[in-house]
This record gives sequence, C-alpha cells and structure tokens, in this order.
Amino acid sequence: MTTAATQEPGGGGTAEAVPPPRGAALWRFLLGLAGALAIPVGTFYLLWVTFDLLRRGHASRAIVVLVAIVIGSAGVFLLYFAVNRLVDLLPATLREGVRPWVFVGPALVLLSVFLVYPVINTVLLSFKDAHSKTFVGLDNFKFVFTDESMLRAIRNTLGWMILVPLTAVTTGLVFATLADRLRRGEAVAKSVIFLPLAISFAGAAITWRLVYSFRPQGFGSNIGLLNGVVIGLGQNPIDWLTQHPWNNLYLMVIMVWMQTGFAMVVLSAAIKAIPDEIVEAARIDGASEWQVFRRIIVPTILPTIVVVTTYMVINALKVFDIVFVMGNTEANGTEVVAERMIHWFFIGGNYGRGAAIAVVLFIAVIPVMVWNVRRFREEEAIR
Amino acid sequence: MRRARLLIPLAVAIVIAAACSTNTSSSGASTSGGPTEANTGKVNMLSAVDPKEGKTIQSQVLDPDINQAQSDYTVELEADGNFEQDVKIRAQAGTLDLAMLPQPGGLPDLVATGNAVSLEDMGFDIGQLEQTFGKPFMDLGVVDGKHYEIPTNINLKSMIWYPKDDFDKAGYTVPKTWDELMALSDQIVADGGTPWCVGFQSEGSSGWPATDWMEDIMLRTAGPDTYDKWVKHEIPFNDPAVLTAAQDFGSVMFHPNYVLGGAANTASLAFGDAPLPMFDEPPGCWLHRQASFIPAFFPDSAKAGVDYDWFPFPSMDTEGGPLFGGEVMMAFRNAPEVKDALTRFSGEQVQCDMGGYVGSSRISPNLQVSDDCYADQILKDSADVLRQGLQSGSARFDASDLMPAAVGTGSFWTGMIKYMQQGPDSIQGILDDIEKSWPSS
Repeated sequence: MTTAATQEPGGGGTAEAVPPPRGAALWRFLLGLAGALAIPVGTFYLLWVTFDLLRRGHASRAIVVLVAIVIGSAGVFLLYFAVNRLVDLLPATLREGVRPWVFVGPALVLLSVFLVYPVINTVLLSFKDAHSKTFVGLDNFKFVFTDESMLRAIRNTLGWMILVPLTAVTTGLVFATLADRLRRGEAVAKSVIFLPLAISFAGAAITWRLVYSFRPQGFGSNIGLLNGVVIGLGQNPIDWLTQHPWNNLYLMVIMVWMQTGFAMVVLSAAIKAIPDEIVEAARIDGASEWQVFRRIIVPTILPTIVVVTTYMVINALKVFDIVFVMGNTEANGTEVVAERMIHWFFIGGNYGRGAAIAVVLFIAVIPVMVWNVRRFREEEAIR
Repeated sequence: MRRARLLIPLAVAIVIAAACSTNTSSSGASTSGGPTEANTGKVNMLSAVDPKEGKTIQSQVLDPDINQAQSDYTVELEADGNFEQDVKIRAQAGTLDLAMLPQPGGLPDLVATGNAVSLEDMGFDIGQLEQTFGKPFMDLGVVDGKHYEIPTNINLKSMIWYPKDDFDKAGYTVPKTWDELMALSDQIVADGGTPWCVGFQSEGSSGWPATDWMEDIMLRTAGPDTYDKWVKHEIPFNDPAVLTAAQDFGSVMFHPNYVLGGAANTASLAFGDAPLPMFDEPPGCWLHRQASFIPAFFPDSAKAGVDYDWFPFPSMDTEGGPLFGGEVMMAFRNAPEVKDALTRFSGEQVQCDMGGYVGSSRISPNLQVSDDCYADQILKDSADVLRQGLQSGSARFDASDLMPAAVGTGSFWTGMIKYMQQGPDSIQGILDDIEKSWPSS
C-alpha cells in the first residue's frame, strides 16, 4: 500500500516511458485478478439470488426464462460497464494494465471452470475405480488397450478417421469442380448436396435405419430401400447392419453423405477465389483440363483442403450418434471410441473406464490440433 | 484515490462471501428421520414407460389420485426413452425427485452417486413397508443397511402367449411340462406351421428378452437355490449348470424348423414386432414367450381371451416358480412433498388405479391391492400366478436385473445376441467372456 502510494507521483503522464516499479506490478496483478473475477462472480451471484427468489415464490417457467434473459444480457452489460468505470478511478499507472484483464478475464474464468477443471477431473477419475472411490493406478488404461471390444472400437475409429474425410473431401472436391463448370443450376445442384448437413447426426441415422431396414421372412414385407432393390433383383433380403466388417462401411456412408456438402461448399468458395488469370494463362500455355486441376486448382486451394480435412478427422474421431442409434454395437462389431466412453460411463456404470477412454480420446485429438495450428501459423508467416 | 483502489477487491470479497453463504444454506446436511428440505410445490417422477402410457398414467392416475387430492404440490411424470442414462445424469445434477427404476440392479450405482435418500432418512416405517410389500422386495434396495426403494410394479415374465382361436381350432392343448411343450412344437412343425416367434432387438438394450428366456430355463433346470447363487456370483457364470440352461435354450432357438426367420435373425428383430405374425391368418407362428406387458404391442384389433391367451412357462427338471421383473421407486430429495408423493404412489389407491386403466399391464406389489383393480382377466390371472409364487417362495426376480450393470445390462445382453448370431458351438466361449466381465469388487 505504502509502496504503491510513494510510487504514485512518478506516474502520471510519463508512465509509459518509466518501467513500472515492483509494487505497482503486484497491484496490477491483484487488481487484474479482481477485475477478471468480478464479472463472472457478479453474474453468478445475481442469477443465483434471482432464481432463489423465483423458486421460493413458485414463479412460472416463462417468467424464470424471461428473467434469465434480461439479467443474463442486460445485467452482464451493466456489470462490464460498472467495472470499466471502476477501472477509470484507478491511478493512471495501473489503469491500462488492469483494463484488459477486466475484459479478457471473464472468458478465461469461464474457460477454466467449464473446460480446464473438467479435463483435470476426468484425468483424476481415469485413475480411480468404477465409483471413483479408490485409486487403481493404470488398470483402466490397461482395460482400454486390452479389452477385445475396446481394441475393435479403436480399430473402427481409425477406419472412420481415414475413410470418412478421404471420401467426403474427394467427392466434395469433384462436385465443387464440376459444379463450377455448370452453365445453369449450380446453386440448385449444390443445395441438394448441401441439404443433408442441416440434419442432426441422430436424425440422419434414423433416416438411414430405414434405408438399411430388414425384416426376416414371415414378419411382413421389407420396407428398406436397399432390400427393396435386392428383392427387385430377385435375391433374398440382407440384414445389412449385422454384416461384419462391412456394416462399419455402411455406417460411414451416413457421415460421408452428411459431410460431403460441407466440403463441397467450402472448397467451391476456394476454387472461385482462384484468380482467373492464372487458370487462363495455364490454358493458353496449352495445359489440359486435368493438368489445370492437378497443377493449378489443387495446389492453390490446398490450405482449404487441409482445414476441411482436419475438421472432418476430428468429427470422425468424435462420432457417436450414428453408431449409437444403429444399436447393438458390441454384437455387430461396430463400436467406436466415443460410443464406448458413453457406454462405460452411463450403461456399464464404470466411471473409471469411461474417464480413461475420454482421456485417450483427448490425447488422440492433440496431434491433429497441433498439426492444424502449426499449418495455420505457417500460412500466416507466408502472408 | 486510495480508497478507490481498495474498493474493487473489497467488493469482490463481499460478493464471493455472499455467494458462498447462500450456497451452503440450501444444501444443509441431513439429520435422520424426516424431511429436511422445504416444500417447493413440485415433484418430478422420472420413468422409463413409453410416452403414450406416461400420459395415461398422468391423466388417469396421478392427476386424480395425487394432484387433486391435496393442494401442497403437483406430481409430474416424465416418460424418458433414454432412462438408463438420464437417471444417472439427473441424480448427480440434483434435479431429480423420484425415479421409477425398471431394473433394481442399477440401484447400488445410483446410491453411490450420493444423492439418493434412504427411506430411513425420510422417516418411513420399514417394518410396515415390509408387511405391505413383503421382505424380499424391500431387501432388493438395501445398501449399507439402509433401504432405498419401494416397489411399484411387477411384470410376470414366465408367460407363453398363443393365438387362442386358431390354437383351439387346430386341436392343440396347453402343455404342462417342457417335454409337452417340445412335443407341441414338433406337432406344429408336422402340421406345416412354425411354432415360435422370437425377437431380441431393443435398440441400445438389445438382448434382454433372450436373457429372460435363459433365466426361465435356468430357474427350472438348476432350481431356485442354484439360481440364487448364480445371481450373487457364488457360482461362476460359466458353471456347467448355466451351460446346460443355455444349451436347452439353444435347442429351441437353433432347431431348423422351430423359429420363424431363424435364430440369427432374432438379433435384428424388434421384440415388439416379434409377436405380430401370431395374428396372421393362418398364424405365422403359434407361441411367443414374453412378459405381461407385451399385449401393448399386439394389434389393436386383437381381443384378449379370444385372439390371444397365455399359459405359464412349463416346469422342467424342477418345479420352477414364476420369474418376475419389477420396477422400484427411489427418492432423491428429502422434502415433505417427495415423501408424501412416494407414500401415495405406493399406496393402495394409486396402485389399484395403475392396474385399472385400459391397456395397463401393471401388477401391484402392494399386497393390499385386490384382484378387482385389474383391467382384464389376463392381468388378474397373472397377478394370481405371481401371488402364489411369492407366497410359496418359488418366484424369483429377473436375474439380469439384479446382476451388476456391467453384466446385467451389458455382457449378458450382448452375449445372448452373439449366441444367436454365432450358433450353438459358440456358447462356451460366450459364457467364459461374461464370467470375465463380472466386476471384481
């Protein structure tokens, strides 16, 4: 306190030139911390008090929602405003050091509460037993890498990570290139391919369950699209989803169907951004269409392809809904890692194993992210 | 200026302190005997019944019997298709008041989350509950010496359904023993029919109807004592007694002419669709083994006692009692309205009305509920068979529902599906795998 006070006269207009003394740095840290915490804590307290009040008064749900919206937006705005004003009251030496924390802080606090803390807790849980009571060392991880069903899940997930992005990006690229050459109807063609993306994974899986639907003889007619074709060709209907290992491919088709549209739209935008001069110059130099595609278009949009591919690899790594909705994973051999995680957490009732699978999944994402960030930095450096 | 600098940390400190103090006051430690929390006026009741039946229960039972009978609170039934997962999430989140658990095997896990409230803590008289529901049923929910559930519904499982009018016309008679049942199956094959309709698919829970088959046979080949040891893992899952039961089960399933569509396809046939060929003319199949709730899946036009009827699963080596499953209710908030809702729901009035609405398949575990409550003759008869079994001590609870979740809702279900897909020779390996999956603690 006294140190900060004695340093004060040295501040004022020349604060930027003079390196701030130690006491001021400490104060800046403390005030920054306080400012960072003030808004989340304030919001939490405000919401807590209001909801407590509403709950006691048996308010209707509509009013609770309304209050949450009003306090959540207007209240938070006012809090920012008030804390910003408080910062203005600080001495000039500290003011600009503290202010950024007030604005970045809440995001950092929320991030640690909702992201960092759960990660640490999950890692802890993965070393504990089914009910998170005693530490069991590496037992859960041993399970992850020895259990027959887990190994199959890891193999299947690898298949998803390779085949789905490969197929979706390739077809997306082909569609984007061809659609680019359409004289009419480009928008319609692209919309049709893009449409499945609007459906949720679970919804798409339910739709496709009808495509693969199968009924044994004696249980009514087969309503499945595929079996309709098969029967039309004079063959016996097939129970598609039990045909291991092919059933994995049948499930992957669903994700490809959904994601091709996304790849197409993004790549199409990239293709359209290629300057016409380059393409035309190549054509004048006598390049064939294939050469233009191979040597001009693909290299130019490579950064976009990489981003789309990473996005899809991560999506494939997380795939859960499709596999879960199709059911019977263990007997059909269609397990994937995320599905096993939910299985052990909520059906098998073993938090240790569920958490261990989550940790493995988390570690598996890191290389993809690192690669992505590094690429992004390289791009930035070139620019 | 100095004062201003102090202002922010001070304000923050006050805010934090205030937030903490309100936080602790509402989740105070519970003392034994009687509710500790204030009445909030609402009680939610999570259930695995299908949404249609949930609406019927709400409007025909809960609203008149509980919500209109008092003015302190309202009970709302939440029919949840994803019950097994949601109940765990909501129990941990503390947003659950009452839950109707269709499988008591999951109870210890839920108690382990720490938010379940024992009946002792709520101030229930256990001795009186044991008189009303029978001690075995109350014992299902004991963890560390405390009771955590009140039974609210029983399903009779040892039932074989048949198309009565066609059955009588063909001159078949109801078999009393396993041998007679097999002879009947052969007779049906000889007459050009297919005896059995079987379907084990049930989305995320596929396989459970097959475990019911296994349990019925296990109870009748190995006897109730060995059955109990099997449930408690006092004999291994790959014990010869279990193998024998599985092979008897396989002798029906893998017989070339017994099962409509063949054994391998039972894994992909929804259990609710499986009995439908029984109502074709002529019947696509003649026999279907399923619990007392299955008429809900029969065609709307089918009439009980005319188009279909049932007989108990016949005796085998030993005189086996009925197999039953049941639903128990757990409480997660120690408040007066939760206690009152639980008392009323398990009481005579609600339990009687639960068996009385059209389409109900609910048999009450409350021994004071009279036969007159039930909606139809089929339900009345099943309640009789159950009562006899419970009184003679030969009735047994569904084994898979009592085993630890990793087995009872996991490897046992999956194992039975694999058995159907891989054929009779796979069974030893499958039983070995289930034995390996039994949790060590």
